[in-house]
Amino acid sequence: MVGDRVDYRSAVTIRTVLRAAAVTGATFGVVLLGSPAFAAHRDDGDDPGKGLSALETLLIFGVIPVALFLLIALLVSAPSIARGPRYRADRGWQGPPLVFGAPRDLQLPSGSTMSGGRAIEAAPGDSTSEPASEGGGASARW
Amino acid sequence: MLDGEVLTPRQQDEINRAIDIAQRESGLSFTVYVGPPTGDPRAFARKLLAALPDPEQSAVVVVDPTQRRLEIVTGRVAARNLDDRACMLATASMTSAFAAGDLSGGIASGIVLLGEQARHPRSLHLDNP
Repeated sequence: MVGDRVDYRSAVTIRTVLRAAAVTGATFGVVLLGSPAFAAHRDDGDDPGKGLSALETLLIFGVIPVALFLLIALLVSAPSIARGPRYRADRGWQGPPLVFGAPRDLQLPSGSTMSGGRAIEAAPGDSTSEPASEGGGASARW
Repeated sequence: MLDGEVLTPRQQDEINRAIDIAQRESGLSFTVYVGPPTGDPRAFARKLLAALPDPEQSAVVVVDPTQRRLEIVTGRVAARNLDDRACMLATASMTSAFAAGDLSGGIASGIVLLGEQARHPRSLHLDNP
């Protein structure tokens, strides 16, 4: 049984090696065939000028692409950064609670006013004499 | 009104409009609280209702997106026209919208639904507006 498994594995390994060799060989073949195109012959009247210094090379091929990348990334994310956090169903609520349809000076039961001002302890009489306890309602989860 | 960043101004307008419509329709005043309540949501909704200027004629909707809980409580007088069955209907409508990720739309349609359910014939000597 063990021998079978070893045989199977070696067959896979051989196939992998063959594949890698084929890919490598094909690549090198193409490069070798095309190598005359890379030969530096000077044509009449050409003027290649000075080569780039290491710093210039870095600037052109390193700094400028990175800067462009950052600029585009910034442009993409700028609107949502300006808008601030938004409600997403899977991330809960990020931000202060919102109250609609209530008077401006309503004191939330948490003890803080709507404007986030001073913390006010709920008066003990308020909680005991809840006139709304005779009312109705419904609750649900989702 | 808090300048909340979490709901866009358009979404907040949607909710405010729905509250206006429901109040005009029913004569009750509706208050919506969106956010994590302190303590038990039902008790919180009750306290919020008690803190309103006219708790008898009011209904409070507390939406807790973090715990995914919804509470609707009604005042004593409001409960006559807006019974628990109507509130259940509104919660069903709202939670199905919330489950689909539409918070403001669910709140707005639920409030309008509450207003329609609470519609009753006007008696001019009782309903002051």
